[in-house]
Amino acid sequence: MTKLYPITVNVNGRIYERSVESRLLLSDFLRHDLNLPGTHVGCEHGLCGACTILFDGQPMRSCLIFAVQANGHEIRTVESLGTPEAMHPLQQAFSEKHALQCGYCTPGFLMSLVPFVETHPNPTEEEILEAIDGNLCRCTGYQNMIEAVKTAAEKMAAG
Amino acid sequence: MNLEGEHQFKGPRQEVWDMFRDPETLSACLPGKSQLTKIDEQHFEGTINIRIGPVNGSFGGNLEITDEIPPEKCTLVVQGRGVTGFVKGIGHIQFVDQGDGTTLLKYTGEAQIGGTLASVGQRMIDSVAKTMIRAAFESLNKSLEVRLAAKESGGKGVRGSDSSKVNLEKPAEEKL
Amino acid sequence: MAGIVFGQRIPRNEDARLLTGKAEFVDDIELPGMLHAAFLRSDYAHARINSIDVSAALKRPGVVAVYTATDFGDYWKPGPLQVPPPTAIPNSVFFARTLIPISKDKIRYSGEPLAVVIAESRYIAEDAFDDIIVDVEPLDAVTDLEKALEPGSPLVHEDLESNLAAHVIQQHGNWEEAAARADYVVKRKIMVDRCAGGAMENRGIIVDWNERSGEMTIWASTQAPIPLRNSIAARLGLFEDKVRVITPFIGGGFGPKIMTSMPDDVLIPIIATWLKRPIKWIEDRRENFLATTSERDQIHYAEIAFNKDGAILGVKDMFYHNTGAYDPYGMTVPLNTQTHTVSNYNVPNFYTEIKMVFTNEMVVTPVRGAGRPEGVFVMERLIDYAACELGMDPADIRARNLITREQYPVRTGIIGQDFVEGVLDSGDYPKALQKACDMIGYDRFIREEQPRLRAEGKHKGIGIVCFTEGTAVGPYEGARVTVGANGKVNVTTGISTQGQGHFTVFAQIAAEQLGVDVKDVNVITGDTGQFHWGAGTFASRGAAVAGTAIYKAASKIRQKAIMLGSQFLGAPEDQIELCGGRVCVKGDPSRYISMGEMAQRANPTRGTFPEGAEPGLEAVDYYGPPYGATGAGSVAMIVDVDPETMAVRVERYVIVHDAGTIINPMLVEGQVLGGVSMGIGNSFFEKMVYDENGQLLSASFMDYLLPQATDMPAKIELGHIETPSPLNPLGIKGVGEAGAIPTPACFAQAVENALADCGLQILEMPLSPSRLWELVQQSGKE
Repeated sequence: MTKLYPITVNVNGRIYERSVESRLLLSDFLRHDLNLPGTHVGCEHGLCGACTILFDGQPMRSCLIFAVQANGHEIRTVESLGTPEAMHPLQQAFSEKHALQCGYCTPGFLMSLVPFVETHPNPTEEEILEAIDGNLCRCTGYQNMIEAVKTAAEKMAAG
Repeated sequence: MNLEGEHQFKGPRQEVWDMFRDPETLSACLPGKSQLTKIDEQHFEGTINIRIGPVNGSFGGNLEITDEIPPEKCTLVVQGRGVTGFVKGIGHIQFVDQGDGTTLLKYTGEAQIGGTLASVGQRMIDSVAKTMIRAAFESLNKSLEVRLAAKESGGKGVRGSDSSKVNLEKPAEEKL
Repeated sequence: MAGIVFGQRIPRNEDARLLTGKAEFVDDIELPGMLHAAFLRSDYAHARINSIDVSAALKRPGVVAVYTATDFGDYWKPGPLQVPPPTAIPNSVFFARTLIPISKDKIRYSGEPLAVVIAESRYIAEDAFDDIIVDVEPLDAVTDLEKALEPGSPLVHEDLESNLAAHVIQQHGNWEEAAARADYVVKRKIMVDRCAGGAMENRGIIVDWNERSGEMTIWASTQAPIPLRNSIAARLGLFEDKVRVITPFIGGGFGPKIMTSMPDDVLIPIIATWLKRPIKWIEDRRENFLATTSERDQIHYAEIAFNKDGAILGVKDMFYHNTGAYDPYGMTVPLNTQTHTVSNYNVPNFYTEIKMVFTNEMVVTPVRGAGRPEGVFVMERLIDYAACELGMDPADIRARNLITREQYPVRTGIIGQDFVEGVLDSGDYPKALQKACDMIGYDRFIREEQPRLRAEGKHKGIGIVCFTEGTAVGPYEGARVTVGANGKVNVTTGISTQGQGHFTVFAQIAAEQLGVDVKDVNVITGDTGQFHWGAGTFASRGAAVAGTAIYKAASKIRQKAIMLGSQFLGAPEDQIELCGGRVCVKGDPSRYISMGEMAQRANPTRGTFPEGAEPGLEAVDYYGPPYGATGAGSVAMIVDVDPETMAVRVERYVIVHDAGTIINPMLVEGQVLGGVSMGIGNSFFEKMVYDENGQLLSASFMDYLLPQATDMPAKIELGHIETPSPLNPLGIKGVGEAGAIPTPACFAQAVENALADCGLQILEMPLSPSRLWELVQQSGKE
């Protein structure tokens, strides 16, 4: 019987207590153990960024973190950003500017961008490119995402 | 992948040859928890642990020494298989007496790899191979020093396994 | 032809769910008692299997079953041929060797499955790989396309005499005669190398077999739900309606997900009937590179015959096409190459010959572009070298030879992937070329900017190319449109969706006909339980073919609503209109019936019913074109090359595109942009590399480089031309592959132009900084 470790994790503001194998990836834990499948897995090598979540406020690849490493920490996933009826300005802007097509990479982009738009009320194109350069998208060619981020940052700065 | 290079040993050719043909010494050159057991003078089998970037595995296989002309040259043929792939290699080794009490070891060879090792570790294989070979030579150097020192000090454990292992350090593990 | 919603930039219906993590993809689905599958795959590309010992794996806790080929008994056989052989082409030779679901005696590609492990978790299933002992005898691998056909080569399929998988020759006119009388003949060997689909979501399937009801439910990330259903039903001896394939949201298709005879498609359903528990298999990224199909991999020996005034007299192209270890998808890819070589030019004499070759590499099936980029690359390079020979400007020589507006429809004399002669339905190729030149400032760049930049030591170059895109091929698609009692509309069609926006564009088509809000149209795609006739999403055909079926069905309802409205409201039919969700009388807002009420009144539960009528406001219709519609365009780009690092930066990218009538300009632009990013990848970043032992060396994003945001041109400028297709009532053509097709050709021309003083010839795709450097060294200068 493989050894299980008790962990306590704060995910999207809610405390979860679970027992997990040491090798369980955080991405699998969120998706299958906590039923939060909004975080997607694209490569499990830490390259595509689809699995990006906020770990104590910092964007990180959940496929490169073990669930046990999240013990005692705060995780935010895309499910915390908004609902279809009440979307976050970033989500709203992505839709308006057609910055998503299949939507698989999108949660990773959104979570990578949340801290960015909160701290860059008037980002330049270079700054935006750098912020999204760590995430891969096969569908959109990225161009519309830049417009979306500008729009969202403006809206958020305006309050 | 093609390999070639050379290394200077500070010892006479016959010593270098003898040391090289000693399975304990060879074992000590391999990385990690690798080990070789002798089947006969020309054939060895065992496991070798290799780590190339994110791919890490143990390979079971065998080593054959052929075309021997002691103490001048020999050919090593290696084959290994494991869950993470397979390795096949052939190396031609020459021992050149420099005439000043040192020996130049020259090698050429090629290796083929396959499986996960090849598909994910490809970009690191050249440098890992070079590192492994360099570490093996350092290990052999130390071995040689010990043997020569032992000989000078009057033959304590010249060819014994214990003393040839005492000061040996395992080559450093390749880190990602 | 823009209407109230048709032709408008409408944000997508599906976005809210995708953005908030509420969209369900196949791996999100959990079923009670679900087990997980993993495939043990061969390391060797070519080997004989002596034995596979799974006994230790079976003892591992958490492992429920382990299967090898012998366990499948009669179910073990080569899979179906998904695309028929090219018997429509005279004298064609084709050897069908379809995908083997799991290796039995012989391994033919690295990644071929050797065993399937079913366990309580994917983690445990992969642990069990360590327990399985495989004894194989390696064989020499076949990897070089030309050497593969030499006598004495190892044989991938030993029951064949050679590694020739197919041989097809097509021609019109007389090349030999044209070459003999031409002023010039230029020859080149041109190579296009392999690329991957690279969808962000890997493949996956869940099979749930309900033994009591004898019904199987499958969720799959597939572009072909109906063929998948039919294939599985046939194999298990079930009536089709006992198998239901549902496509959840799909994270990108790009071609490889059209396959329905992959090992998982074949084996997981069988295993599910044995174990009587739901089985899930989700591919991982390495498997996707290694063992999911990829494309491009051709070697061309091409020639162009032309006169000193720049008129092209003929083209000859003999090419080798790598099909990999098997050929389940027939000749689709190389036929696309044949039909997209000379297609937009007036070339009276054309000879094209395919030698399709088996190798010990992964199977080749369409990836966005699907053979068209190769044809365009070859032709555009030939034209560029012809221009070079004549000292003629690349834009001028193209303008000289393009098919003009007056010539349509143009019969090409070449049979394509739909087994009929390709006919160019409509277009204005010279206009697209001119517009692209204007948008990029072609003349000004060549005359003024480039000489100035050169004097400053900068290496900037410009490229201009033309292309066509065959789309919207048959056989057919169908749709059912239903108005509900609540006035909302359901549109159901058989094809599935991978991010193109079907949920919105199909809604726009129906909404326009029925006068309802786009948000009130619910589109259901890819559920065989709801609609079970159709072929799939491929060849950029969704909007044109399924969209037309939807249009036809919605039009039927429109006619019926107008007829019934005329009866119920007591006004002549030409006074009845549909708008705002109502059937109303023009000019009299007080007289109307809501669509929902109309739907109820059309479905009486008492009384009599007219002969020949159908109840409710519902219609089913189908559409199949006689041949595919052809989109086209021109691409221009300006690149900046750093001669020390050989980094190439695309500074400007212009694409002028004609996709016929546009349903939603925002989504069409998105498709073009996405295609361009793949085209840029195919030009300079992405390359699937196999070594001489058939080992794939680029099986992760570390080595297979998808373009990142900073690799893209700063801004891609889109120009539109619309020449509606006469083939369907809305005039729609496909657009999905447009950006991918011409980009490598333009990139090559622009880089050559930037490094013109090197005498560089780029005869291969893709490039990379190191390869570009090698080519520059070899060209002898600088």
